[in-house]
Amino acid sequence: MAVIAEPDRSAIRRRRRREVAFRVSTLVTLALVVGPAAWILLGVVLRALPHWRWSVLVTPTQGAAGGLSNAILGTLALMAGVLVVAGTLGILAGVFLAELAPVTGRRWSVTGILRSATDVLAGVPSITLGFVGYLALVLALHWGYSLLPAILVLSVMVVPYIAKSTESALRQVPTSYREGAEALGMRQGYALRKVVLRSAIPGVATGLLIALAISSGETAPLLYTAGFTNTLPKVALIHHPVAYLTYPVWTFYDYPTPAAHYLAYDAALVLLVLVLVLLVAARLIVARTQRHADR
Amino acid sequence: MSAGPEGVSTERGITTPVVGAVDPILDAIDPDRGRPPHVMETRDLTLGFGAKAILSGVTAPFARGTITALIGPTGSGKTTFLRTLNRMNDKVRGFRREGSVLLDGESIWSTEQDLFTLRRRVGMLFQRPNPFPMSIRDNVVAGVRAHRIAKGKQLDVVAEQRLLEVGLWDAVKDRLGDSPFQLSGGQQQLLCLARALAIGPEVLLLDEPTSALDPVSTEFVEHLLLQMTPALSMVVVTHNLGQARRISHQTMFLYDGNLVEHGPTAQVFEHPVHTHTERYVTGRMG
Amino acid sequence: MAILGGATGAAPPAPPVKAMRRASVARRIAAAGWAHESRIWKIGGWVAASVPLGSLVFILVVLGHKAWPSVVVNGTHFFTGSAWKPGSTYGTTVHTHGFAHPAGSSYGAWPLIAGTLQTSIIAVVLAVPISLGAAFALTERLPGWLSRPLAFAVEILAGIPSVIIGLWGVLTLGPFLAQDVYPVIADHMPDVPVLSYFRNPVGHGEGLLTTGLVLGLMIIPIITATTRDLFLQVPPLPKEGGLALGMTDAEVARRVTLPWVRSGIIGATVLGLGRALGETMAVAMISGAALNTISPNIFGTMGTIAAAIVTQLDSSFTDGTGFATSALAEAAVVLVAITILANALARVVIARSARHGMPVGRGG
Repeated sequence: MAVIAEPDRSAIRRRRRREVAFRVSTLVTLALVVGPAAWILLGVVLRALPHWRWSVLVTPTQGAAGGLSNAILGTLALMAGVLVVAGTLGILAGVFLAELAPVTGRRWSVTGILRSATDVLAGVPSITLGFVGYLALVLALHWGYSLLPAILVLSVMVVPYIAKSTESALRQVPTSYREGAEALGMRQGYALRKVVLRSAIPGVATGLLIALAISSGETAPLLYTAGFTNTLPKVALIHHPVAYLTYPVWTFYDYPTPAAHYLAYDAALVLLVLVLVLLVAARLIVARTQRHADR
Repeated sequence: MSAGPEGVSTERGITTPVVGAVDPILDAIDPDRGRPPHVMETRDLTLGFGAKAILSGVTAPFARGTITALIGPTGSGKTTFLRTLNRMNDKVRGFRREGSVLLDGESIWSTEQDLFTLRRRVGMLFQRPNPFPMSIRDNVVAGVRAHRIAKGKQLDVVAEQRLLEVGLWDAVKDRLGDSPFQLSGGQQQLLCLARALAIGPEVLLLDEPTSALDPVSTEFVEHLLLQMTPALSMVVVTHNLGQARRISHQTMFLYDGNLVEHGPTAQVFEHPVHTHTERYVTGRMG
Repeated sequence: MAILGGATGAAPPAPPVKAMRRASVARRIAAAGWAHESRIWKIGGWVAASVPLGSLVFILVVLGHKAWPSVVVNGTHFFTGSAWKPGSTYGTTVHTHGFAHPAGSSYGAWPLIAGTLQTSIIAVVLAVPISLGAAFALTERLPGWLSRPLAFAVEILAGIPSVIIGLWGVLTLGPFLAQDVYPVIADHMPDVPVLSYFRNPVGHGEGLLTTGLVLGLMIIPIITATTRDLFLQVPPLPKEGGLALGMTDAEVARRVTLPWVRSGIIGATVLGLGRALGETMAVAMISGAALNTISPNIFGTMGTIAAAIVTQLDSSFTDGTGFATSALAEAAVVLVAITILANALARVVIARSARHGMPVGRGG
C-alpha cells in the first residue's frame, strides 16, 4: 500500500501546464504547415497577376519572352503519354500485386522481390532517372531530346505510385464481391474486370490523377530528355524536342530581363493551376465515393 | 451476498485498494469515517446528444462499498449514464447535461475538481479489453506513472501487487516485458482491470465488462468483483441478467430514457414494482 | 484471393462448340480472347509488375557502366576529396588505369555528400515534430469542418511542384530570412563551440539553412498526411482507456497513440528523408549550388549530389573523354545507394520496434 502516494498539488499543476503546452503547440505546428502553403500560393499568384496577359496561353515562347502555348501543349502531350504508358503498366502491376500474385509464406518469394523493387524504385530520385534516360535513350539510342524518352522516364517514375494506389484500392474491395463472383461461376479474369476492378475505379482514378499531377510538376527528369523548343510539339515520338511548363520557371527566373521573369512567373501560375485542378479532381472523387460508401 | 472485507483481504493475502488516506491509522479502522454514505449520487440528471434526449431526471444514490447493476434494453441510455459519471462524455460532440453528479458530496463538474484526479478516483473498465501498446508490466502501471504516484522500483511492486490481485501474476510473471496483445481476451481484460485498480480508484465503472469473454473468464471476473467489495464501490452495466443477480447489491432498471426502478437486487428481480421491469427481468422484453 | 490464385496455369475450358459455329469469325476471335482473359490478365500483370525491378536493374547497370572509369580512377578519393576538378578539358588527355581523362582532373564528392546529408538531416529534424503536432491537431483537436479543408491544404502543399517552391524560396523566403531573421540569430549567438556555427556571416539567403528549411517544408506534408491517416486508424478504445485512467491528452498521445503507429511514423519519416535526399530543383535554386564548398557556418552556400547533377550534366559534356560525366554518374550511384540504405535502415528499425505487435506497420 505504501508505494502509492497521493499526487501533490504541484504535480497536478505541472501536468496541467504540460497539457496546455501540448494543445497550444499542436495548433502552432499546424499553422507552421498551413501558413507557408498559403504563402507560396499567394507569392506565385501575386508575382504573376500584375503582368498577366491572356495571350501567354496562345503564343509560343520567343527566346526568353513571348508566351507559353508550346510549353502548355508539350506538358499536355507528356501527361497523355504518361497516362497511357504508366497508367497501363501501373494498373496492371497493381492488379497483379493485389490479386494475381502467387501467395507464398516464404520471405524471399518472387512477388516479394517485385514488391520490394517497386518500393525501392519509388524512392529513387527523379534526377537519376533523367540522367539514365539521357545516357541510354537520348544518347545511346540516338533518340535525341524528344517526347518518347521523356514519357518513358516520367512513367518509370510514377509506375510505382500508380501500382501502389491500385493495389490498395483493390485491397479495399470486400472479399464478398470476389466470393459472389466465384459463386456465379465467373472466370477469374472476367470477375476481375466486371466486379473487382469496377468497384476499385475511384481509388485507381485518384491514384492516376495524383500521378499526373506529380509528373506535370517535374523538371529534373525532363531537362535532359525532353529538351526544350520554342515551337509547338510535333507529332513525333523521337528526334523532336518538346517544351514543358517547368522549364521556363527553372531557366528564366534568373535571366537579366523582366520579360524572362514574367514568363517564369506566368509558367509557375499556369503550372500551379494545372496541378491544383488535378488535385481537386482527385479529392472530389474521394469525397464522392466516401459519400456512397456505407460506414 | 457479499463476502466480508476482512475475510477477503486475509484470504487473498492482499491489501484493499482504497487510498486517499489522511490519517492512516484511523482510516485503517474506518476508512469511510466522516464521508457521505453515498459515494456517488446523481440528482435529476438529464442527458442528451444534440436534439436527442438520452436520459431524463435520473436521481440515484450509489451506496459506498456496494455493486450497483445497471440493466435495461439496448438504447435505454445505460452506457451514456455510466460514461457521464467519470466525465467521459464531456468531449463528445453535442453532449448536453442538466442536473448534477456528486462524488463524496461534491459535484464532479465543479471548478474545484481536477478532471484527471476525478478519473483517478472514478476508474473505468470497458466492454472490450483495451491494452496499451506497451509491455504487460507498463500497462499495469501506466496510470500510476501518469499520475506520478509511484516511481522507479515502486512500479514493479505495484505491478506485481495488482497482477496478483486479479489472479494474472502466475500467468504473466515470466513475460512482463512482452506484448499484452499475445494474451487471451480474458487475460487482457484482467490486465485492464489490474491497470484500473493500480491507481486506487474509489469507484469503478464497468461497461459490460464480460460481454467479450468466455463463460469461464466471466465467472472468474465476477468472483473478483465480488471480492473487491466493500473496499471498492462499483457500477456495472450489464445485459446479462444472471450476472446482475449474481454480483450486484442494488439494481437500476433504465427504460426509454427513464430510471424506472431502483432497489435491492433481490427485490427488483423477485418483486418488481413496475410492469416494464417485470417484463424485462422475466425475459419477456428486450 | 482464393478464386484468383486457384487457376494458375490451367487453360480455361473452350466455349461450347454449338455457340462457336454460329459465331462470326470476328466474334470467334473475341470469344477466344475472352476465354483466355484470365491468362491475359496474368501475363500482363507479370510483365507490368516486373517493370519496376527491370527499371531498377537498368538504372544501376547504365549508371554503373558510366561511373566505372570514375570509380577506378578516383578510387576512395571520390568520397574523401573536397575538390571537383574537371581539369583542363582542352588540354592533354592522360590515362590512368587505362581510362582516358583530362590532365589535372580529379573528383572528390565529399562536399556534395556532406551537403546532401546536412540539408536532409535539418529537414527531417524540423519536419518530424512539426508534422506530428499538425497531425495531432488535425485528428484530435479540430472539428471536422475545419480539419478537412486544412488536411486538403496539406495535400496541396505536397503537390506543389518543387520548381515553384524553389522559385518562392529563392525570390521570397531566402531574402526575407537573410534580412530579417538570420541577422537576429547570428548577432546573438555566443562564440562557443557548436553555437558558433550559427554566427555571421549570414550571406544572402542562399545556403545550408534555407535549403534545410525549404526541404523541411517539402517533406512536412508527406509526413503529416501519412501520420494523420495513421492516427485515424488508431482504435478509439485504447485512447479512451487512457483518458479513463485520468491521463491528459498529451499523455494519451505519447503513451497510446504514438506507440500504436510508431512503425508507420518511421516509414513516413523515411519517405520524407528519401524525398529530401533526392530533391533536386528546389535545392539547385536555393543552396547556391556550390561544388567544392562545405559551408563553414549554417548560413553559407553549399551543394548536394542531386543539385550538382542537374547543374553540371550539361557542362560535363565539354569533357570529350566523358570523365566528367562518369564522375557525375558515380555521384548518382552514391545518391541512389544512400536512399536505398536509408530505406533498408528504416525496415530494420520498424522490424525491431514492432515488438508489441501493432496492427499498423506498412509504413504508409
